[in-house]
Amino acid sequence: MQDSQLDDAISAIRVRFGSQALTRAAELPPPQPWSSGTPLDRLTGIGGLPRGRLTLLTGSGTCGKLTLALALLASATHEFAHTVVIDNASSQGDSAGRALPGRRDKGESPFSFDPWALLAFNPDFGSLTVVRLKSDSAGEAATALAKAGAGFILLMGEIPEPWLGPLEAGANRSGTVLIGVVEAPGRAFAHASSLSLGFSRAEWIIERGQLVGMRTIARCLKNRVAPPLGESEFEIRYPQGAELFLQHRVSETQLQLAELECASAVV
Amino acid sequence: MRICCGLIGNLELAQRQDLYGSPVVVGAWEEEKDDVVAASEEALPFGVVPGMPLRQAVHLCPQATFVPPNPEAAVHLRELIASALYDLAPIVEVRIEGIAWLDVSGVPKPGESIRETRRRLRAAIGREPRLGLAPGPFSSRLAAARARPGRLIRIEDAREFLSPLSSHELPLDEEQLERLDLLGLRTLRAVAALGQRELESQLGRAGRHAVLLARGLEPDQLTPWSPPLFTSTHRQFDPPVEDREALLFVARALCGDLAVELGLRGAGAKEVRVRLIFESGSHEERDSLVRHPLSSAAELFGLIGSWIKEWWPRAPITELWIELPILEGAGRRQLRLWAGGDGTSDEVIAAFERLQERHGDEVVHQPRPALLSSPLPTRRFA
Repeated sequence: MQDSQLDDAISAIRVRFGSQALTRAAELPPPQPWSSGTPLDRLTGIGGLPRGRLTLLTGSGTCGKLTLALALLASATHEFAHTVVIDNASSQGDSAGRALPGRRDKGESPFSFDPWALLAFNPDFGSLTVVRLKSDSAGEAATALAKAGAGFILLMGEIPEPWLGPLEAGANRSGTVLIGVVEAPGRAFAHASSLSLGFSRAEWIIERGQLVGMRTIARCLKNRVAPPLGESEFEIRYPQGAELFLQHRVSETQLQLAELECASAVV
Repeated sequence: MRICCGLIGNLELAQRQDLYGSPVVVGAWEEEKDDVVAASEEALPFGVVPGMPLRQAVHLCPQATFVPPNPEAAVHLRELIASALYDLAPIVEVRIEGIAWLDVSGVPKPGESIRETRRRLRAAIGREPRLGLAPGPFSSRLAAARARPGRLIRIEDAREFLSPLSSHELPLDEEQLERLDLLGLRTLRAVAALGQRELESQLGRAGRHAVLLARGLEPDQLTPWSPPLFTSTHRQFDPPVEDREALLFVARALCGDLAVELGLRGAGAKEVRVRLIFESGSHEERDSLVRHPLSSAAELFGLIGSWIKEWWPRAPITELWIELPILEGAGRRQLRLWAGGDGTSDEVIAAFERLQERHGDEVVHQPRPALLSSPLPTRRFA
């Protein structure tokens, strides 16, 4: 009974306002995933980061979000002809770049993205371009590049609200993977994102008296591309020395995986 | 060069998937042309081979099902398979004989391309393909022929793989193969040991070609399949329509069909044209060039729907045509492939240049590594 009433209401709206006034969610095409090769792929629920949508990595300083973003960026440089970093974090007062040691050394640089920090992840620099702009112009730049078809864009700070709509439309058209790294996103930025992952550091990993990485809890705060999948625990190892060219520095801890397997078996 | 070859059987046989598993012979009973066009794997043990007279095939394998050829359907299927494989490798070639070659050199994840190739070939013909990966088309085809259905044989050294094989694997005619036998050249190793001129003096240019093939030098290049640069679709109305909503409904469905086709080809429409044909036979049309190639149904309908909404046709409409006269590579193709010459790359570079014009050259940096190792370990713990 309720179904027929609902169908009547839908057809009435379509007759009055046109056939495009209503679209069933099930009829919308799902976003295509980009498989990054990190455990984030499982957490998103679609087997990768969504193309054409904004994904946010958020969390307080030194929680591993930037290390993870750099790993994603390095992976993207091997796959896409154009990967872009829009570096506008300083104007937002964002501290995403604090984890980068090179930043303090340089001192004079007002921007947060340090290409040297990426070197340890073995990127393909041929496809990487860094655009350094104030926040006002960064939105315009990101939108233009997403429309043009850049494969992967890493936003080091927030984009002004007026540009969020065009940015998402441009990325959706070309299938660009959009990743934003911010400490605490503003309301507009958070609203514009389709996937938001929050990180909080659980503990440092210290081996032989040296800090080698961290364990961090990754929570799926918002997911508009698949049913939300709760949280997982990642072990993030800083790239260093002999480990320089190891491929998988980010891993899900075994305990969590075992728990998941048990849960699925029970279901 | 790394070539992946998928063997799927003659495409004439794929028209009758209900006959898989039983001997099938394709050929027409015509006066002048009654040769066997294709024979299934189950018919080969009876001695039936393509090219022999159909009467002889009936004599050798009377229990086989004989079906007439349908070359148009086979060509259509070849086009469908080629368009389905088009976004998996930069160069794709598909032949009616049931051979699909993909040049996976330079593809960042060749394993994924090959897995997807297997899946799409299976979906297209309804049975598992045999796969081979080798340095060239000839050796990859021979490798695939020796693989089990659904499995891949990978060849690193083509010459070593080819050496023990029979010289009858060479693409020569009956007379030339008989001559090789008379010369005592029964394996490809024996052919490879000859000089090019020595065999050329016996078999002509085919002899030189055969020596190069036997040595694993792969003289043949793939002929890249490229999608037609024009496509269109249309719908006839009987009786003629005047209702705008009906026209929009049909236009949306046609846009959906075109988007599926564009998606398979990895193409986008650079120009869109809509033609309305009236009851009187006259027509009106509207067309536009678009800056970014349109590839999805929503994009196409966004443009075409807006035209139809503001259009005031002067008579009832009998036909609606949507034509895409200029196609080019869409952004989605670049996302899977490392293709430097892709049209999208030019767009991105142009966007960088516009940014530099507006905000100065120093806005856009392209970092280049100057150190061999990371500065991170020394800095992190300072």
